[in-house]
Amino acid sequence: MKVYRFEIYPNSFNLSQSSHSEESLKVWFKDYMKVNFDMIWEVKYFLVESRETIENFEAYACEVFTDSVTETLFSSESANQEEYHGWLKARGFSNPHLIDIGYRPGVTDNSAHAALEALKLIPHLKNLDLKVSSGTMYYVEGANLSHEKLEKMAYEKMANFLLHKVTITSPKDLVHNTRFKNITFPAVTITASASKQINLSVPDSELLKMNQENCWALSADELTHIKSYYKTLGRNPSDVEMEVIAQSWSEHCKHKIFSSEISYSESNLPEGVKPIGDKNIKGIFKTLIRGSTLKIKEERKLPWLISIFHDNAGIVRFDDKVDICIKVETHNSPSALDPYGGALTGILGVNRDILGVGQGAKPIANTNVFCLAENKYFQENNLALPMLLKNPDRIKAGVHQGVQDGGNKSGIPTVNGAFFFDRDYVGKPLVFCGTIGVIPQVENNKATCEKGQRPGDLIVMAGGRIGKDGIHGATFSSMELLDGVPSSVVQIGDPITQKRLGDFLIEARMKGLFNSVTDNGAGGLSSSIGEMAQLTNGADVDLEKALVKYPGLSPYELMVSESQERMTFSVAEETINDFLALAAKRSVEATVIGKFTDSGSLVVKYNNELVADLSLEFLHESLMPMKLNAHFDVEARSAHWIKRKIGKPLMPRKNFKKILLDLFRSPNIRSHEHLVRRYDHEVKGATLVKPYTGTNEVGFSAPSDAGVIWMKPHGGGEDNAIAIACGICPKISEYDTYLMAEYAVDEAVRNAVCVGANPDEMVLVDNYCWPDPIESERNPDAKYKLAQLVRASQALYDLSLSYGMPFVSGKDSMKNDFIGKMETGETVKISVPPTLLVTAMGRVPGLKTITTSEVKNENSLVYLIGENLTNFSSAYELKELYADYEISYPLPYIDGKKQLDLYRKFHKSMSMGLIESSHDVSDGGVIIALAEKMMGTTFGMKLDFSAIAEKNLMGFMFNESAGRFVVTIKEINAKAFEENLNGHSFLKLGQVTSDGVLNASHKGETIISVTGEECMTNYKVEVEGIV
Amino acid sequence: MTILRSNIKALILTGDGINCETETSLAFTEAGIQAEIIHISDLIEDPKRLESAHILALPGGFSFGDEIGSGQILALKLKYSLGDELKKFIDNKKLIIGICNGFQALVRLGLLPKPFEPRTMTLTHNRQGNFINRWVDLEVPTSECVWTKDIQSKKISLPIRHGEGKIVFKGDSDAQKVMYKTLSTNGQIALNYSVDVNGSYAQIAGVCDPTGRIFGLMPHPEAATSMWHSPAGIDKSGAVGIGASIFESGIKYCEQNFN
Repeated sequence: MKVYRFEIYPNSFNLSQSSHSEESLKVWFKDYMKVNFDMIWEVKYFLVESRETIENFEAYACEVFTDSVTETLFSSESANQEEYHGWLKARGFSNPHLIDIGYRPGVTDNSAHAALEALKLIPHLKNLDLKVSSGTMYYVEGANLSHEKLEKMAYEKMANFLLHKVTITSPKDLVHNTRFKNITFPAVTITASASKQINLSVPDSELLKMNQENCWALSADELTHIKSYYKTLGRNPSDVEMEVIAQSWSEHCKHKIFSSEISYSESNLPEGVKPIGDKNIKGIFKTLIRGSTLKIKEERKLPWLISIFHDNAGIVRFDDKVDICIKVETHNSPSALDPYGGALTGILGVNRDILGVGQGAKPIANTNVFCLAENKYFQENNLALPMLLKNPDRIKAGVHQGVQDGGNKSGIPTVNGAFFFDRDYVGKPLVFCGTIGVIPQVENNKATCEKGQRPGDLIVMAGGRIGKDGIHGATFSSMELLDGVPSSVVQIGDPITQKRLGDFLIEARMKGLFNSVTDNGAGGLSSSIGEMAQLTNGADVDLEKALVKYPGLSPYELMVSESQERMTFSVAEETINDFLALAAKRSVEATVIGKFTDSGSLVVKYNNELVADLSLEFLHESLMPMKLNAHFDVEARSAHWIKRKIGKPLMPRKNFKKILLDLFRSPNIRSHEHLVRRYDHEVKGATLVKPYTGTNEVGFSAPSDAGVIWMKPHGGGEDNAIAIACGICPKISEYDTYLMAEYAVDEAVRNAVCVGANPDEMVLVDNYCWPDPIESERNPDAKYKLAQLVRASQALYDLSLSYGMPFVSGKDSMKNDFIGKMETGETVKISVPPTLLVTAMGRVPGLKTITTSEVKNENSLVYLIGENLTNFSSAYELKELYADYEISYPLPYIDGKKQLDLYRKFHKSMSMGLIESSHDVSDGGVIIALAEKMMGTTFGMKLDFSAIAEKNLMGFMFNESAGRFVVTIKEINAKAFEENLNGHSFLKLGQVTSDGVLNASHKGETIISVTGEECMTNYKVEVEGIV
Repeated sequence: MTILRSNIKALILTGDGINCETETSLAFTEAGIQAEIIHISDLIEDPKRLESAHILALPGGFSFGDEIGSGQILALKLKYSLGDELKKFIDNKKLIIGICNGFQALVRLGLLPKPFEPRTMTLTHNRQGNFINRWVDLEVPTSECVWTKDIQSKKISLPIRHGEGKIVFKGDSDAQKVMYKTLSTNGQIALNYSVDVNGSYAQIAGVCDPTGRIFGLMPHPEAATSMWHSPAGIDKSGAVGIGASIFESGIKYCEQNFN
């Protein structure tokens, strides 16, 4: 074996230029680690392993690896092995250390995959047996750099211990060029172990120990259930069977909490908190989520609800030509371990859900919502974080890059989303990824929304290969995040492999080459085949036929590995040859690994040896629901992990302008445009309302309410579009999760209505991310958290029913807690606030209905639609900012029926073209919403708040609630608009002016005067780093 | 020299991570010509299919995930498997348009700024170091470019969506100046950003070969074919967007020059 090393340097003309990433690394180390580097030079490299020596390899490699205009190659083959030392000098280095970051064996290495493919394009190299690995190295120079310090720093920022191997070379060793002499190629050296029996006839304590050691994450009751089942069979389970059972019954796959029987009670409700009454719930999902949807379906007789809850995504008919599907997922635990890989696989994973819905849908848009913490908060307040927690800013950068690469490289626009910041997301970041897809209504005379696997169909695994990565992912994400997790749970996505797989899937579907498909997500083959086999009632699998990344995987690993980019197809014998031929032509690896049967069992063999024979009935139907208790009493909740009171400034009471600008700079109102513009939001040429809006004069930096996607480029109606919006209000959870859930639903719906969606053609998706609500020693306030879950779910039920909007898909992630140690030795538990993301998707019937948020014309009238809220104290954002503002009960709940009527009337005005601009009132209240409407334009607003009593002005301007809009209407349309709002509160606030100033007066006295530019500058504080 | 518009045919490449093929195809068919989306492997298998086409379009995307360099591996693939056919296509005075990643591939393939000559130009990382999606104002200079004939000397606005759109020439600053001057003199600078958006040399956004028939540009005209695409609410309507003019110009050239 010969290993070559190729390093890519800038050529002599570009030697002196430092890159943006080098500069930002310097800044990062200075800001976060107080280390000053004089210089950092980033150089990419590739290792190529070949069975034989390749003549003239450097020339070929030069063509493949470098851009001849700006780059040059230096390699183990270079004639002058000293040459790069001259380049280092020219660059200004005198005493450089070298930090080398390579991949650990077996980690997904996308650069290497691409490089190998590129090398194989060269005729001379085509038939050679090559392996490639990539890496990045950094020459660094600065004072007081030690070997240990550099290694620590590299793992802090440039590398992830679970994925990368860092090698430091000191200046005195660098001269020897050792990295070119004994090059080691990262090789996986593992050996498979044969499948074995698991002896369950042991004491319970022993069982629990095995449970822990094997990462099964089964409960004591479940272990007993399995034990007695195998006793009736008269044998022990195999390891493969145990793994399949554990995976299928994981919280992640089985949603045991949402299926459990819950006894709910409440006491000591704060004044004004809505009682929902003591009750027994036979499954939150069944009675409240699906329950509401089925009731709506029956009451409204909805013909457009095509497929709900039983497939990978919900399907609706909001277009005359194509059907539309939607799914939103979370990828929290993987993102905590490896932010980039976690978010990347999150977005690619939910794309695969869409590819795997019905006969396979085409993804057309992504959404993404992050709930994160900011390092600044902990720094400024001098709060220590538990050891081994990643710097929250690194998590932010990583998950953002992951979603960026996942969406952009797949050619799917990210059309809607949100960033939400709270200190309690420091333990587990929440990463929500959603995808919308289209599927023909009928194709090849088949309804494409239905799965069509039949006994006798071949099972084909296609896309990526199986590796150790992602083993126990499903069970792991159902466990708390503990120090020292095994590295196999981390996985990196490969967008190009998936893009090819997705393109191939759609082409094969159009050609009618398969009967059914599903994705390999959590649980891998075990899950995908297990689910598909339910319909045919059986499957036979020959595990050794599955393609692997490297040898040495044990049968159970092949079965449950979550290696990414894989779909499982059900292909008829008659079409298998065409299917495999097309796959080969599209560079997609596909292999037959078994057959669907109707035997009632999942039968798995490995090299003809039986390793699992599982009754599908036992696997899927035998588990009894858990019985849980929920009790709502705010006094019962555990103390917050941060014991100290955090200092905040006092509110500048009379200075409304200062408050407004403070709000604009606050974490949850300020702009994230610099991050959002790194997502491609327009690919596919169908994004009609983009994340930011504005005017040609001022630019496009004002926030939009929702994304609007044109159906025409996707084969749909020429004059038809879909609006996608989200609602998320975890800051309200501490007061009441019922209210929080109401707000999340309403915010999503209202955002969609704002851009033109019809409230009568709208569906919802729910995504819960909750702290663990199961009682244990470490979780004393579980009953309260479960009660919070019940209350939120009851709100979803009540409001969706009032709105008549069905849930078509949803997901829950129930263990969002971190337990770790502080440097002091103290153990802390950090739980996320109960968080619910609601995504709304509605039809925009006719492109003329599309309305954006920015003001359009001078002299138009400005209206607030909805209540004044002057009796409340609900300015949540003020509480975040100032020490002397308190939220007080009662809080404004929603009158669902009335609100729906308002949305219908509002939509009527919109379709009549009466509404020029509309924006929802949310974080920061009415005044923020008004300023946001103005600041993307050269216009101003002259407003008169005299209708409000002076003592109520604060509340009027800053209180938050659901259900409200601010709009502008041409004077000529005012009468018709007001008539349409018959029966609802609205207030004419003033008029649009041409002076670019928001001026509000009260009884003749100016109470606030602020320019659009001032608002925008403060809003963009993070984007442009000013103020 | 009169070919019916409906007989003009555009081939639009797809596969290996190209992802703007549908809207690019739509931009051509909306203008009334035939467009066929073809997978690179299918074209390699049957390169004759190039012969029946008048236009070859390399759409935007992330071919091969942008690994090693955007457009780099796609360029290698085209060079080694379709090199001769592409030469013939160009020799037959047919039209090529490369948008975004397609432009990057044309440059790496050496077809721009001048086919079959050693490479002098590249597209590298934006000065900001990251991907950018925004609408930018552009100036369309007078040039040889047949793809911009309808809009030359106009100011237009199109979306950009790229991480590697900064044009750099080979050599030291003097050599780069000479190169730029040559392109200017030849009428090969086909599109300029009105302000510096990514650090591109002389704010160049699009370049054509000396004949004007091969055109590469970073902005996305196929995502601005309708005024519904406009980022400004006030501009939204069913009118045709400015991006359509680029496809229209290319098609008009075909109408006048092919039979």
